[in-house]
Amino acid sequence: MNRRARIEYGLGLGLTGLLLLVAIAPSLFAGAPDSVDIARRLAPPSAANWFGTDETGRDVYARVVHGAGTTLGIVGAAVLLAALIGGAAGAVAGFFGRLGDMALSRSADALLAFPPIILGVVIAATLGPGAFNLILALGIIYTPVFFRIARASALGEGACAYVEAARALGHGEWAVLLRHVAPNVLPTVLLQCVILFPLALQIQAALGFLGLGVPPPTSDWGASLQESRNYLTSAPWLSIFPGLALLAAALAALLLGRGLQARS
Amino acid sequence: MLGALAGRLGAAMATAVLSTAAVFLLIRAVPGDVVGEMLGQSAGDRAAEGALRAFFGLDRPLWQQYIGWAGDVLRGDLGESWRQGMPVAGIVGEAFLVTLQIGLVTLVVSLLVGVPLGIVAGVRRGRWPDLVVEAFSLVALSAPVFWTGMVLLIATSTWLGWSPPLIYARPGENLSDNLESIALPVLALGLLQAAAYAQFARQQTAIVMRQDFIRAAIARGLPARVVYGRHLLRNVAIPLVTFAGVILVQILGGVVVVETLFAIPGLGRTLLAAIQARDYPVLQGALLVAVLIALLVNLLVDLLYATIDPRVRGA
Repeated sequence: MNRRARIEYGLGLGLTGLLLLVAIAPSLFAGAPDSVDIARRLAPPSAANWFGTDETGRDVYARVVHGAGTTLGIVGAAVLLAALIGGAAGAVAGFFGRLGDMALSRSADALLAFPPIILGVVIAATLGPGAFNLILALGIIYTPVFFRIARASALGEGACAYVEAARALGHGEWAVLLRHVAPNVLPTVLLQCVILFPLALQIQAALGFLGLGVPPPTSDWGASLQESRNYLTSAPWLSIFPGLALLAAALAALLLGRGLQARS
Repeated sequence: MLGALAGRLGAAMATAVLSTAAVFLLIRAVPGDVVGEMLGQSAGDRAAEGALRAFFGLDRPLWQQYIGWAGDVLRGDLGESWRQGMPVAGIVGEAFLVTLQIGLVTLVVSLLVGVPLGIVAGVRRGRWPDLVVEAFSLVALSAPVFWTGMVLLIATSTWLGWSPPLIYARPGENLSDNLESIALPVLALGLLQAAAYAQFARQQTAIVMRQDFIRAAIARGLPARVVYGRHLLRNVAIPLVTFAGVILVQILGGVVVVETLFAIPGLGRTLLAAIQARDYPVLQGALLVAVLIALLVNLLVDLLYATIDPRVRGA
């Protein structure tokens, strides 16, 4: 890694760490996100309210800070869910091949044929709003991606000499898969989690913006952007700051992913 | 070549059948349908519900409904909207043209902006032009595209006192109004995709720049115009052209959200409205178009690749 790549990677690590801290312990950074103060509604950014206040006088800074847990939690859970299901199915399909592999591969292709956001809109709208449904919708979108990655990786590993050796030692097929192939597929899947995170984040935000995300009054960055639409020009701070938070989170994951890729 | 093409076409068709079937099942698997939406207040009237379900064919088993729909589609009939009573082909086709115009204009913009930036960054790797391009692309890639649109709206109305017309105009009606309507959506999508293009062009340029024939060309004392214009560009062109397909599919996806922000009656808005009204024929038609376009573009990219680069043929 050259100097610039190291700086990028360090920046990614730092930003990721900070965002994780905000997501896990928001009260360290800001007060209550729901305290309404009608007298101070739609106030521009000031020393008291760094990011201004919204239409019911809630502090935008507090809502952005408390939204981190919701937004990043949903995206993180969805990516992990997809990695677990897609990764496991992909490893099994790639290792054993045959009919099951073909059926799963075709299904994955069918889901991958849709632009992800369109699939997300359809699934989220049919399931209805809510954090759990959002996780499910995002999980379905990215499961076939993980499937493909894990499948290709398991296929490659399966042809390696150490797999042949393990077989020759009399280990069963499942034992070879779980004990020898899976540990070698895992790093690829984990790296893919980081790479897909910013993409999943964009879709989570878009669904929130379309009103298909977390219902109010829970603070979520995408949902905040939806609520801000009526005040675009009269109170631009309502739109600017949640968007900047999304940008920062995506940038953190992007830099981290590139750094990890360069290191591996 | 022809055999391979037939094979690819077959695989694409199979994928289209599978994905439309998956969506068909998905949208019917959830509680609530058009009947409940239509009856509203008088919901619970068993006789009326039964009659409406039978009218829409919702009382039949799912597989029969799908076969019926797929058969009609193969005969070129997408059905009629359950809510508007108009042919789905007309509704979806009109919306698709709106989206396609934005998509194509965005593609051209992102190509014209992204490719030169990427090539310059790739040639001047590690120097300041590279740093600037990298910083731009990282930020543009991280910003949610609809948020970029919101920021552009805020910026133009605050500083320029200009905002796009409230009602979308088709290019045939009034071209200058049309361009005003699509300017910001194209800009928002274009910034994102120009960044993606720049990253790709930079990477490809860096690969070609490391090749021996470039060094040889520089060592022979050829002018920069010839080295970059001929040796570099020719070799970067192929991957860049094929990347256009990837970008176009991404744009058509991204435009869905941007359309909602700018109130443009494209495929995305049609899709959302159809979902909310549980208007299955329109929803299925719109999704079919989305899937077919994605598959078609990918197929075209492969074909183009084989045509430009003879080494790929037969592979």
